[in-house]
Amino acid sequence: MPKYIKIPLLILGIPAAVFAVTFAIYFLNLDMKLLSKIEPFFLRHYDKMPRESYV
Amino acid sequence: MRDLKHLQTFEDLLQVANNPLIGQAQSEGKICVAYPCENIPEPLLNLKGAFSVRLFAPNTGSTDIATYYMTNLLCETSRALLERAIEGGFNFADCMITPDGCTMVNRCAENMQLLQTMGKGKERFFWQYMEIPLKCDDNGLNLYVVQCKNHILTPLQEAYGLDISDAAIRQAVEEHNKVCRLIRAIGDFRKEERPRITGYEFHVLTLATYVCPKYLLIDKLEETLEELKTREPDNRKYRARLLVVGSELDDSGMIKLVEETGAYVCADRFCFGSLPGRDPIELNDSEDALTQVCRHYMVNCQCPRMMNMAKVYGRKAYVADLAKEYKADGIIYEQVKFCDPWAYERTLGSVMLREDYGYPVLSVDRPYNIGSSVGQMRTRVQAFIESVEIKKLQRGER
Amino acid sequence: MIVKQEDWSRPGDQRLGVLFDGGKVRRRREWRGVKDTLYDYGRWVYIMSILARFIVKPRNIKAMFRYRWMANYLAVPHMVDKFTMGLRDEPLRIVHTAMDFVVYDVAQTMENIFRGDRRTGNDKKFSDKCVLTDENAMTAFMMGFPTLKAILREVPTMFVANLLNQYSTTHYLDVAQAAGIPGDVCPMPEAEAGISIDDDFAVLGACAVQVNTTCDGSLMGNGIIAKRLEREYGIPTFQLVAPMRHREEDVQDYAAQDIRNAIAFIEEHTGEKWDWTAYFECAKRVNDITRNRLAWLEMNSTNYPQFVGAPFSLYNDTNYMGNCGRSPKFPPIDRKIMKYAQHGYEAKRMMAPEYRHRAIIWGVQPQYVIDMLNWMIHCWGIVPLTDMLSMVNTRQIAEEDTPENREQAYYDMAWLNENMIMRNRTHGGYEVLVDELWQFCEQMNADMVIMWEHMSCKALTGMHGQFEEQARERGIHLVWVCHDLCDPRVYTRQAIRDQLNTYMRTVMREEPLDPSIEVLPDEKAW
Repeated sequence: MPKYIKIPLLILGIPAAVFAVTFAIYFLNLDMKLLSKIEPFFLRHYDKMPRESYV
Repeated sequence: MRDLKHLQTFEDLLQVANNPLIGQAQSEGKICVAYPCENIPEPLLNLKGAFSVRLFAPNTGSTDIATYYMTNLLCETSRALLERAIEGGFNFADCMITPDGCTMVNRCAENMQLLQTMGKGKERFFWQYMEIPLKCDDNGLNLYVVQCKNHILTPLQEAYGLDISDAAIRQAVEEHNKVCRLIRAIGDFRKEERPRITGYEFHVLTLATYVCPKYLLIDKLEETLEELKTREPDNRKYRARLLVVGSELDDSGMIKLVEETGAYVCADRFCFGSLPGRDPIELNDSEDALTQVCRHYMVNCQCPRMMNMAKVYGRKAYVADLAKEYKADGIIYEQVKFCDPWAYERTLGSVMLREDYGYPVLSVDRPYNIGSSVGQMRTRVQAFIESVEIKKLQRGER
Repeated sequence: MIVKQEDWSRPGDQRLGVLFDGGKVRRRREWRGVKDTLYDYGRWVYIMSILARFIVKPRNIKAMFRYRWMANYLAVPHMVDKFTMGLRDEPLRIVHTAMDFVVYDVAQTMENIFRGDRRTGNDKKFSDKCVLTDENAMTAFMMGFPTLKAILREVPTMFVANLLNQYSTTHYLDVAQAAGIPGDVCPMPEAEAGISIDDDFAVLGACAVQVNTTCDGSLMGNGIIAKRLEREYGIPTFQLVAPMRHREEDVQDYAAQDIRNAIAFIEEHTGEKWDWTAYFECAKRVNDITRNRLAWLEMNSTNYPQFVGAPFSLYNDTNYMGNCGRSPKFPPIDRKIMKYAQHGYEAKRMMAPEYRHRAIIWGVQPQYVIDMLNWMIHCWGIVPLTDMLSMVNTRQIAEEDTPENREQAYYDMAWLNENMIMRNRTHGGYEVLVDELWQFCEQMNADMVIMWEHMSCKALTGMHGQFEEQARERGIHLVWVCHDLCDPRVYTRQAIRDQLNTYMRTVMREEPLDPSIEVLPDEKAW
């Protein structure tokens, strides 16, 4: 493919692909779905931490 | 021990808020100044021609109407007081002065006012609310003085023509001190190894000085003091000497309950108690009496609403000092249910007295009328006393 | 009272219940038509960029693993979605402008916290220029310290965390109650005390200033927190007084003097000097904030309110109290919101096909279902005109630097401190809580009061009967909505909504505008 076609395609294509992927993440709420799966690992980690609990 | 000669009389006075001495004092031309909280300088309510009555609601049963007005999560004291007011139990009052001590008692007084529970047929009746210092400092003292002038002295003078001069305040303080010295002298017997007065008896006497016209009690208190000097204590050893600390406690049944388990209540650090409520006020001649009275109340105040850290730590140090002075084996931190200030104070106090000062501590909440929860409370106190006994045995004491 | 637009239409999703599937997060994001979906997507990218910029810093990652409450911040985009549910056009833009800036502001606060925190960033020099303040404190006493940072440590730790995740406080409440604090006190200061007991606050600052803010519980919880600050971490604390009877003339000297004392305390512990030029700059912004808030309220008194609900309240909280004129970043946001609001008003923009009731929201909001105000617009056509926490100072304070105004400034700061959100209604006598509510109903043409009855808030519930009787006398619909502020185990979100549902069906005999959201399966949701 000639460069004069490839470069504009890349210039348009990359942002379009980024948009398509991020929009899919956004609309399908994939970001929140992923993070909600991570939360339990953090909670288990906090539960295991030694604490100096006193009044 | 032989019964105290006047105990029955004092007990009878505590059966109703509108005790016969109030009517007697009013028939002598004095006006009754009602108030619901310890954060008010009592002598200012006892100027010549007036006497103070701290509101309480003995033998409270249902608080249904007050619960409608304030819901069931407000402290039981505030609900009991409102219920009694709605029932007409405080109609004897000629005015009502409420310090903005805690939110709940404040709301209680406001409901009393909005529902017009008092002052019927009394043209000169007034309601006053006063700000009181939240910290112990010069700024707080200035506020206290201004508030006492604006919300106690001026209204009393304007409505009832009372003399509010420096000399009148000094005279009121002297009369106040007379009662304080009597109560403290009687209370000092509690320091004895074989005390000649029970914690219950003492609470009855002290409570009466808050809810009756003081001047009408002096002769009986003096007689009781004389009687105590020769009273032969029981030949018994109490299982534990306990200091009771906490929120408003106007139900002597609570003290009785603790003592029925074999303990001795050797000191009383609660509202309606004598420590520090019955500390005499020492006045000098170089400063006006009002400022000195206010300073006394601000400096001696042990109410948890005082929020500067010197006060926060000082309250625990004061309790520890009392425990030492009155030879307490343990401390009961009590709180009337749903009281926010004492909910936190009880937590912090019980931890600090246990960890920083080494005392065994029982931390409990209780109903306003202990009669509604005798079994639960007795079980907890008994268990605590057993734990105190075990600790004493472990230390090699008998 | 009913305002209806026959030609009203909402592009995109019509039934909002489709977004919920009973999980922790929503099934998908809302389709709002092309224009508004793209706008919302753009804002989502912006929020994600704030989060990304925050989490790339090593000290913030360290904090993520050290502090339990940090896990709640995984839910930031979810929180924004709650506040924008069902919105289009200007209302959508207003909410985003306000809430996205709140997100930015909280992120900045957290940046500062972890920079100075002894366990994470440990920048001692920076920490020595920080002053810890209460979550519920007006930061007016910091207006003349431009080189110091006021760190509202409890805001991200407790307050915002509960907006993000309804279960954010339960662990700390358990800790506090295990330590002996009863379960019947207000859970907010109790949770804060629990965080301190659990040693889960960041530790920084040259000193701390606490205020007797909203309630006895808040005042008392401070003692527990201050003990640890002072005794374990060596951070001196000052207790700043805000008088209870704050409308009385004879308490103002007291309040002003304690502001002077607080300033002297900060000067002593930070080595900084009070700067009057900076103070009066801030004072101008405070006045600007007041004017804008009053303008929005005036707009909300008409048939076409624009800036309403939880975002109105939360933005005001942040701007009025946390910021208190100190940041120059707020005025442009105010102006942007004002522009959208004016456009929306001129276009007679409505958030639902009809507004059946005009409600004033009174009492203390349930923190974990604060987005209910948005829900009730869409579900029942009840438009929340304003809320108790937004009805704060209306006075203009002195803003020119003159010798007289310097003296007046202490009284102005004290006045602001006394009129901190919530406490200006919970303290000050029943008149400010009860009587003024009826005045606001009249001013704003409200026919309904949604009464958040925070069951542990003694100042509010202490007037329960008076509210009920006086509303009846005035013919105002008073809907009790009981909750426990930030403990969803006591009242679930649906149990809270059901109180309104029941009233609307049984008393008002109305059917919901959007029946798909009358019952929402969000008990497990963040």
